[in-house]
Amino acid sequence: MSNDTLDKLPIGATATVTDVQGDPQLQQRILEMGVLPGTQVQVVRYAPLGDPIEIKVMGYNLSLRKAEAKHVSVEVTA
Amino acid sequence: MTETHRHDRHTVALMGNPNTGKSSLFSALTGTRQKIANFPGVTVEAKIGTARFDNSEITIIDLPGTYSLAARSPDERVATDALLGRIEGTPKPDGVIIVLDASSLDRNTYIATQLMEFGLPAVIALTMVDVAESRGITIDAARLSETLGVPVVPINAPRGTGIEELKETLHRTLHHPGNLLELDYPEDFKRGVDTLHAYLCDLSVKLGFKPARPEALRLLVDGAGPFFDECEEVGGAEFTDKFFEIRERAAAGRSLSMAEAQTRYGAIGKWMQEVKQTEAREGRTKTDVVDSILTHKLWGSLIFVALMTLIFQSIYSWSGPLMDLIDGGFGSLGDWVGGMMSEGALKSLVVDGVIGGVGGVLIFLPQILILFLFIAILEDLGYMARAAFLMDKLMSRFGLSGRSFIPLLSGFACAIPAVMGARVIEDRNTRLTTMFLAPFMSCTARLPVYVLFIAAFVPEVTYLGFIELQGLVLLAMYCVGALAAIPTALVLKKGILKSKVTPFLLELPSYKMPRAKAVARTLWDKGGSFVKRAGTIILAVTILVWAAGYFPQSDELDAQFDAEIESVEARYNETVVAFDPDTDQESLIAEFKALDDAFYAKTTELEVEHASDDDRLQAASKNEKAKLIDEVGTLAAKSPRHAQALNDYQSWAELQEQRQEIENTRAGAHLENSYLGRVGHAIEPAVEPLGWDWRIGMAAVASFPAREVIVATLGTIFNLGGDQDEESATLREVVQNAKRSDGSKLFDLATALSIMVFFALCAQCAATLAVMRRETNSWKWPIASFVYMTGLAYICALVTFQVASALGA
Repeated sequence: MSNDTLDKLPIGATATVTDVQGDPQLQQRILEMGVLPGTQVQVVRYAPLGDPIEIKVMGYNLSLRKAEAKHVSVEVTA
Repeated sequence: MTETHRHDRHTVALMGNPNTGKSSLFSALTGTRQKIANFPGVTVEAKIGTARFDNSEITIIDLPGTYSLAARSPDERVATDALLGRIEGTPKPDGVIIVLDASSLDRNTYIATQLMEFGLPAVIALTMVDVAESRGITIDAARLSETLGVPVVPINAPRGTGIEELKETLHRTLHHPGNLLELDYPEDFKRGVDTLHAYLCDLSVKLGFKPARPEALRLLVDGAGPFFDECEEVGGAEFTDKFFEIRERAAAGRSLSMAEAQTRYGAIGKWMQEVKQTEAREGRTKTDVVDSILTHKLWGSLIFVALMTLIFQSIYSWSGPLMDLIDGGFGSLGDWVGGMMSEGALKSLVVDGVIGGVGGVLIFLPQILILFLFIAILEDLGYMARAAFLMDKLMSRFGLSGRSFIPLLSGFACAIPAVMGARVIEDRNTRLTTMFLAPFMSCTARLPVYVLFIAAFVPEVTYLGFIELQGLVLLAMYCVGALAAIPTALVLKKGILKSKVTPFLLELPSYKMPRAKAVARTLWDKGGSFVKRAGTIILAVTILVWAAGYFPQSDELDAQFDAEIESVEARYNETVVAFDPDTDQESLIAEFKALDDAFYAKTTELEVEHASDDDRLQAASKNEKAKLIDEVGTLAAKSPRHAQALNDYQSWAELQEQRQEIENTRAGAHLENSYLGRVGHAIEPAVEPLGWDWRIGMAAVASFPAREVIVATLGTIFNLGGDQDEESATLREVVQNAKRSDGSKLFDLATALSIMVFFALCAQCAATLAVMRRETNSWKWPIASFVYMTGLAYICALVTFQVASALGA
């Protein structure tokens, strides 16, 4: 079981979400947007200045800051 | 069996995620029968319209798109309040249309599950089916309807398909009770909601309403927010204690948000298995392909910069001709109306106050509309989210968000749409900071001040053959604003407006072809909003300033000038030889006048033609002048009567000039004597350290409603009459040569710089402050903005003047 977080994945990586932490408001928003344990996510790109990250989840594209992504624990699948 | 109901009236709420084509649907349903509804106490707006079906009228409330009903701020609470009919002046919905985007159905269904827990009659409008299909996703609408217990109507709003069916289904559904969705929450969770709901119902007398069960669920999970605050207010410590107790038991050691999300998405997952088929597709979606360029590290950034430059540029170049048109139009209107009225306060009020004031507002309309046009197109296209994505890191460094970029950029055109545009920023503190910073972006109203003073005092030097010093100074003035904004932003974000981590989470929607109708409608709404808001305030303040500059009238002063005019006219009558009753004399004089008029017309033409080339202009003017002297000489030589006519004409022309001079001086004297003038004198000691005298101080005060008024005011106070603009050579010369009471030059480079710096930083736009008040629902922010910016402007102008003088400017 890897201890990776979403902010550390390389471009193109696919992973399954294992946990979502963070302060209550942030956590709730992340979960509502479909990033919750058991969901598959894929890292599409990082913005030109290095932040935020764009991921593909539940069939759509979501961007979030690295500081937010680090609260999402994942297990890399590809 | 269909039942016909005569003159039925119903209300439905239209809800769904952002970017689902909800507005398109709303327009398709309501046509032109729509208007914007403002809600008390929040900045959120909704659109209300009427749809017709058979003999029924359905009022539709289009609420802003949202991903969830979770409400941590009053703005977010509006959706639930509207749904439950708790907003004053807004009808209670009998049902709800839930718009779901077929291409990202899973996430879209999240809020649907929340809405369906209210048990209202509901219809699902399924949009973007074509987009889904292009990605290999097929949705079985019938199956979905069966599973959810809610009718599902696929629609394509732009094309108009499914609209009639939707109306029919809606109409039918409204006459039956709705289905209550019950999800399989964990036992502890369910019990918690029930207990809390029962407790809240006990509080219902104090609350003033009976909370619905979904509200209890919301309160339990969210744990904070407007509803919590309300309950705490009426329930006190007893409520708080009980609440957290229930909460702890319900959570049973885990996160309630997690429990809710997992339950909902768990159910959604199961449904999707029965309802959604996905073909594995090779290759990327069209949106992905476009994004690989538009958000590319290098190309994406370049395209972004190019796009922003284009927007910036076009605001200046495209609006020019339109502004001249408006300016000319209002000038003519003023002359025409003025011509019909007799001299006096009313005429001045109408011509200078009202027409001048309205013209002063409308002249900015072209820029505002061009800016709004770009933003509307980019928004509809889906690019705005990418812009926020690209700029977020940079903006974050200053305590802002990627979403702040476009509003701040708008500020370079006008701070008003910038402040309004900050609405898209969810985080309250970032939003406030953005609004506070917007006026620092040098808006176009400051341009006339810069143009006048740079042309008058900055030498026309060119470096390296193409870099003009004047251009550099102009750029520097823009930077002054931006530079002042940076420390302000940091101070705000680190201090007063410090906020905790604000979720940036931003959906990057699929690109869509911008629709002309939607863009046009947005333009109309926003433009109208600007004219109404800014217009009324600017007009009001303009009239105030006009009054301050007009009153009190002084009969003595008038008598003084009247006497001067009389003496000048008397002199004229003495020098002019009595006319020969031979009527030829008048027509001869007219001939000379005609030559003169033609000369002036030609000169004006030349000034326009050779606007950028001083040398050519000089040469051409000299040419025309020589021609005139020639023609006049020839005509005068024709006969002694011609020569006399020339004499008479010249005397008459001189009389006109003298009269005009006296009138201008009169206007200047009146202004000095007015309340405005007295204020100018009163603050003179305060503005002396800035290198100003009372005239400049007065002009600065007069430009409060609209900054560019300073140019006309300076024109008047220097006895040039009120028609001067920043390109007027006369005003420029006067400004260069104006003297103080002790004989020394009034304006020099140092003073010019201090004036420009003051204008760059001062909060001199009543309209912006008014919009700020509306957007923040309090006077605190506009007042803070005014005090801070004016104070900063004063200090910086002072420093600029002192330093520049010391350096020998």
